Amino acid sequence: MKILDIAFKDLTRSFRSLFAVGMTIVAPLLLIGLISLAFGGAFNGNSDLPAVSVGVYNADRLSDTSILENALGENIRSMFFDESVESWITARDFSDEKTLRAALDRREIGVAVIIPPDFSDRFLAGERDTQVLILSDPTLTIAPQVVQNMVMAMLDGVAGGGIAIETVLERQQLQGIQPDPNLISSLVNRYSAWYRDFQRDLFHNPQQAALVMKASTGEITSENPMQQMLGLMMAGQMVFFAFFTGAYSMMSILEENEEGTLARMFTLPVNRTAILAGKFLAVFLMVIVQGIVLIIAAHFIFKIQWGDPWMVVLALLGQVVAAAGLGVLLISFVKTSRQAGPVLGGALTAMGMLGGLFTANIAMPDAFNRLAAFTPQGWVVRGWKIVLNGLPINEMLLPLAVMLVVGLILFAFGAFRFHRRFA
Amino acid sequence: MNAIEVKNLKKSFGTIHAVQGVDFVARQGEILSLLGPNGAGKSTTISMLSGLLAPSEGDAFIMGHSVTAQAKSAKESLGVVPQEIALYPDLSARENLVFWGKMYDLRGSKLKQRVDEVLEIIGLTDRQKDHVGKFSGGMKRRVNIAAALMHKPDVIIMDEPTVGIDPQSRRHILDNVKELNHQGMTVLYTTHYMEEAAELSDHIAIMDQGKVIAYGTHAELIRMVGEQTRIDLTFNAEVEAIIPLWKEIEGVTSLDATDGKVTVLVDDSNRVLPRLIEVAADGGVRILSVDIQEPNLESVFLHLTGRALRDS
Repeated sequence: MKILDIAFKDLTRSFRSLFAVGMTIVAPLLLIGLISLAFGGAFNGNSDLPAVSVGVYNADRLSDTSILENALGENIRSMFFDESVESWITARDFSDEKTLRAALDRREIGVAVIIPPDFSDRFLAGERDTQVLILSDPTLTIAPQVVQNMVMAMLDGVAGGGIAIETVLERQQLQGIQPDPNLISSLVNRYSAWYRDFQRDLFHNPQQAALVMKASTGEITSENPMQQMLGLMMAGQMVFFAFFTGAYSMMSILEENEEGTLARMFTLPVNRTAILAGKFLAVFLMVIVQGIVLIIAAHFIFKIQWGDPWMVVLALLGQVVAAAGLGVLLISFVKTSRQAGPVLGGALTAMGMLGGLFTANIAMPDAFNRLAAFTPQGWVVRGWKIVLNGLPINEMLLPLAVMLVVGLILFAFGAFRFHRRFA
Repeated sequence: MNAIEVKNLKKSFGTIHAVQGVDFVARQGEILSLLGPNGAGKSTTISMLSGLLAPSEGDAFIMGHSVTAQAKSAKESLGVVPQEIALYPDLSARENLVFWGKMYDLRGSKLKQRVDEVLEIIGLTDRQKDHVGKFSGGMKRRVNIAAALMHKPDVIIMDEPTVGIDPQSRRHILDNVKELNHQGMTVLYTTHYMEEAAELSDHIAIMDQGKVIAYGTHAELIRMVGEQTRIDLTFNAEVEAIIPLWKEIEGVTSLDATDGKVTVLVDDSNRVLPRLIEVAADGGVRILSVDIQEPNLESVFLHLTGRALRDS
């Protein structure tokens, strides 16, 4: 009972602290709110990308011997000027690369697309070192990805078409049929026209563009991919702040030590282990409360569909154990509450970045993903991705097991250190 | 019955011997003051009594329960008022008392009733809903005491509860201590203010350098210095050169000089004071003030240690 009393007292104090409430609840919601507003507002569940301003410099020209009617560069360029995307992309042509880069520097455009000379011929000849250069305003996150994805989708389609035509020709040759150059040219141009139309349909609105982009990252699509992306961002922020909450809640033991109330508690007929248990329980409860509030708030404010409630419970359980465990361990190494601020800020931010909490919605290189697996945060955010992508429970078992085992080991080690220090 | 019994209590921190074999008793229902300068070992002694520190040697008993072998029982009989304010500033006075009461297993109506009683005792009933962080130093001190009274302990230990507060709050606290004692509580009161020890105590244990150097009632301790009078002198210049000369004056039994102030114990002030002034004048030192006092605990400490209580 006294353990509960101590935990309740700690929770009461935490919820009366503006700093604690700010860090626990307000900051993550505010951040997601700002991100959501940056997308044009996701509060009504119909979030749109803000208008994307694209500048194009197309130096690609067909050689006289080309079998194409239109250069690939022109196809890429025309995607951004097509009426199907004019509701969300405003495009401008530039006469040279220098002017284009200058416009980007002046932030007159958000994304610059540079198509080099002879791109079509070299691309079709299989020269993979030739590439469309995409430059972007570093403050933008989604728009450059969308533009890059549109270009990549176009080129992948062209490359795929080329392979298909080559296969047909090889089979014809094997069967002794001589390829008709006019037929090849016709096939290529018909395929090119079809694919251009397909692209128009594919990117006819930003929702669709985001859907394609998510599909290209190898993740499951949903009916509202913008919401799903916000969900991943929300999960990243929630995990980041959950780990802060775990550590800052545990910091109360340092503050009580400095305020003299911990020593006073030790003069009471209460076992010291029970006193520490009460403090630990408060940390767990705080992270649980934070998680529940954020999940519910994100659902109602940002229309984030978290998915299967039981999967949410499992992910939250893992998050709570991992965050509380790491919080207890980190604080056990800190001597004073003054030390704690910079130590926690540095350690948790670095681990959060390594764990991929700020890039939860972006497909990262494999090396980065492998690095993330060395942090508890990486496993927690992996669990949330599984939940948000609607994957089956068997996909959750490994991340959950890692979260629980790692969290409990960290907790046990931290608790041991506290017990040795105070009890 | 002895409410507190301390037997050969010792505490060392590495090579520092903070408490070096302390013995004293406090009978049930009395006020015992531990008087001594900062660093005398008072706080370390009561830290051992209250279970914060484990003794290096020896033992102490609270209402017959060993603080080492029966710590829980000893703590149940004990209320501790720490020297620093040990309260939660972001909780109200009432919430603080409720929390500390729960730690003593008080629940429900019994807890509510006791909180009301204690708030009445400390005179803060009308401020009970205010956060302690908004209180004045004196009010915080009163709540600090109240938290130790929640379970109606047999023994209450107060560690310098009047340090750094205004005279009005100090008076309130001293009156509280007397009232608690009248209700039957045994009080162990540590202080370095001799007036408080003199006013409150049935017995006084004077501590210095980790040892109890004198124990007795106020009257018994005063008798230790006999009929000696204390003279405090201040000067306009350094007096180190003439101190050896003063010590040789017949009738001077003890002398302490610190920070331009000299405290002298003398057998007969009428006879010795003129000689002190004469020697000072010969040495070119002008006396700025003279204060002659009847024997008190300060005199006792000076008599026993050769140092003034205020300087130690």
